[in-house]
Amino acid sequence: MHIDPLRAIASDRLALTGLAILSAIVLMAVLAPVITFFPPDHYTGRIFSPPSLSHPLGTDSMGQDIWSRLLFGARTTFLVAASVAILSTTLSVLVGASAALMGGLYESFWMRVVDAMSSIPPIIIMILVAAYLRPNLLVMILLLSILSWPGGARIVRSQVLSLKERGHVYASRTFGASWGHILKTHIAPELGPLLTAMMIQDARRAVFMDAGMGFLGVSDPMIISWGKMIQQALDFTYLDVWKWWLLPTGLALSLTLVGLCFLGFSLEAAMDPRLMRRSVEGAGEQC
Amino acid sequence: MKDERLSRGSIINYVIALAAIFSLNFILPRLMPGDPLHAIYGDEALVAMTPEMEAHLIRQFSLDKSWTEQLSAYLIGLLHGDLGFSYYYKDQVSAVIMGALPWTVLLTALALALATVIGVVLGIEAGSRRGRLLDSGLMTSLMFLGGFPMFFMGILLLLIFGVSLGWAPLSGAVTPYAGLEGLDYFMDLLRHLALPVTALVLVLVGDTFLITRNTVVSKLGEPFVLTARAIGCSEFAVKYAHTGRNSLLPVVTETGMRIPHLLIQTLFIEIVFSYPGIGSLLNTALYSRDYPLLQGILLLVTVLVLTVNLLVDLLYRKLDPRVRYAH
Repeated sequence: MHIDPLRAIASDRLALTGLAILSAIVLMAVLAPVITFFPPDHYTGRIFSPPSLSHPLGTDSMGQDIWSRLLFGARTTFLVAASVAILSTTLSVLVGASAALMGGLYESFWMRVVDAMSSIPPIIIMILVAAYLRPNLLVMILLLSILSWPGGARIVRSQVLSLKERGHVYASRTFGASWGHILKTHIAPELGPLLTAMMIQDARRAVFMDAGMGFLGVSDPMIISWGKMIQQALDFTYLDVWKWWLLPTGLALSLTLVGLCFLGFSLEAAMDPRLMRRSVEGAGEQC
Repeated sequence: MKDERLSRGSIINYVIALAAIFSLNFILPRLMPGDPLHAIYGDEALVAMTPEMEAHLIRQFSLDKSWTEQLSAYLIGLLHGDLGFSYYYKDQVSAVIMGALPWTVLLTALALALATVIGVVLGIEAGSRRGRLLDSGLMTSLMFLGGFPMFFMGILLLLIFGVSLGWAPLSGAVTPYAGLEGLDYFMDLLRHLALPVTALVLVLVGDTFLITRNTVVSKLGEPFVLTARAIGCSEFAVKYAHTGRNSLLPVVTETGMRIPHLLIQTLFIEIVFSYPGIGSLLNTALYSRDYPLLQGILLLVTVLVLTVNLLVDLLYRKLDPRVRYAH
C-alpha cells in the first residue's frame, strides 16, 4: 500500500491545523533573538513587572523577561523533540529491520529486550536516573532515545517481516538482488510513512517527558525549559503574575503537544485501511 | 498448550523488567562519585548522622564488603519488605508509602471509572450519529483535550476554579483541623476530589471515546443490528443493548492498558493539587533528596504497573478466546 505522507496531511483539516500550530511555534523559536528585547538570562532590574511594551509578558521572580524565556524555551523543546525523534527512530529501524531479516537467536534476543523494556513505563526510569545524575541536555536526549526505541522496533520488525514475503521482493531475489539492495529499493520506501508517524510519536513523548522532568525539578538547571518555567511559576499562584507567566508557558507546551497529536493521528488514520474505509463511508453518507 | 506458553512468556518479561528496576536501584547510588552511603542517603541526611548511626548503616548495607555481599544484603532487605528509612519523614519508607497509597488509589479509581463511563456513552452516541455535527464536534474537542499534558490541565482548572473563582479548595484532600464527621466529611472529601478528578477525566476520556466510537461505527453495519431493528427494538435498545454491548471488548482492553499511564499522570496531578498521595510524596522525596523514599516509591509504582499489565493480559485471554489462537 503506497501512502504519500505529504498528500495525506494536505487533504486533512486536522493535520493542517497541527502543522500550522507547530510551524508557528518553530518560526518563533527560530526568530527568538530577533523578536525579543532581552537575553533570556538577563536580570532586567524589576521582578514581577506586569506586561508592558518592553516586556510583552512581564518579568518573573528572578527579574527575567518572560517573553524571551518563552521563545528560548521553545528552542530547547524542539531541539529535544527533533533529536529524540531522529535517534530513536534510527535505533528502531536498525534493531527492527535487522531482527526481521536475520531471524534466529538474534531476533529472539532483541524481541525479548523490546518486550521487557516496553513493560516498564519509561518515565519511572527517567525520574530515577535524573534524580541521581541531574542529566544535562545531551544525556537527557540520549536517555529519552534509549527509552523510546522499543515500541518502534516492534512495528518496524513486523512490517519488514510482511514486506519481505511480498511478490515483488521474491521476484527481486530471483533476479539475484542482495538483501542490501532489497532493503534500499523495496522495503525502505514502503516504510516511509510509518517512520514519519513513529517520529511524530517519539517527538510527542520526548516533549512531554522533558517538560515532566522540568516540572519535577530534576532537569539541567542551566537550560531554559517550559517544564521548569511552569514549576517555578506554580509557586506564585497567589499573585496575578500567573496570567502572563504560567498561562502562556503552559499553553505553548499544550499547543505543541496538541499539534503533534493531530499530525500523528491523521497520519495513522491515513495508514489504517480500516479507518480509511470508514471515512470513505462517512463521506458517502454526508453527500 | 499454546496459551500457557504465551502467558509464561509474558511472565518472564515482567520478571526481566522487575530485575532491571532492582538493578538500577542497586547500581545508581553506587555509581555516584564519592561514598555510596552519601549517595544512598543524600548529603543532607549525613549532617544529622552520628558516627554510631553511620557505622550501623554501613554494616546494614554491607558497604564494607564485596559487591556480591552488598547485592545479597540488598535483596534480603527487599524480601523482608524493608525499603529503607526515610530521614525526611523519620519513619520506615514502607510505612510512609502505605499511608499515602489509599489517596492515590482513590483518585485513580474514581477518574478511571468516570472517564470510562462518560467515554463509552459519548462514543455510542457519536458513533450512531456518524458524520453529523455532534460526532465531528466531539471528535475534535476531545482530541484537543486529550493532547494536553495532564499536569497543565490540572493547573488550568486550579487557576480558573480555585484561584480566580474560588469555587474549589486549592490543595489537600480534606480541610485540615475542621473536625468534620459523617456526611460533612464525605462532602468535604468530594469537594477536594472534584478538580483533580475532572482534570484526569478531561484528558482521559478522549481515548475511550475514540475506541468506542470506531467500534460502534463498524458494528452498526452488521446483520444483528438490522435484525434488532427488524424485530422492533427501540433505538435506545439497539444503541446500548445490542451495538454498545458488543463494542465493549476493545474498550475493556484499552482501559486496562491505560491504567499504568493513568497512574503516572495521577502522580503529576497530585503534585499540582498537593493531594496527599504517592505523587506528592515523590515530589517531597525529589525536593529533599530523600533517596530511600524515592527508590521505594518508584519500586512500588513499577510493581503496580507490572501487576496491572499481567492481570489485563490474563483477563483479556479469558474474555476473548480468539486471542489465544491469534498468535
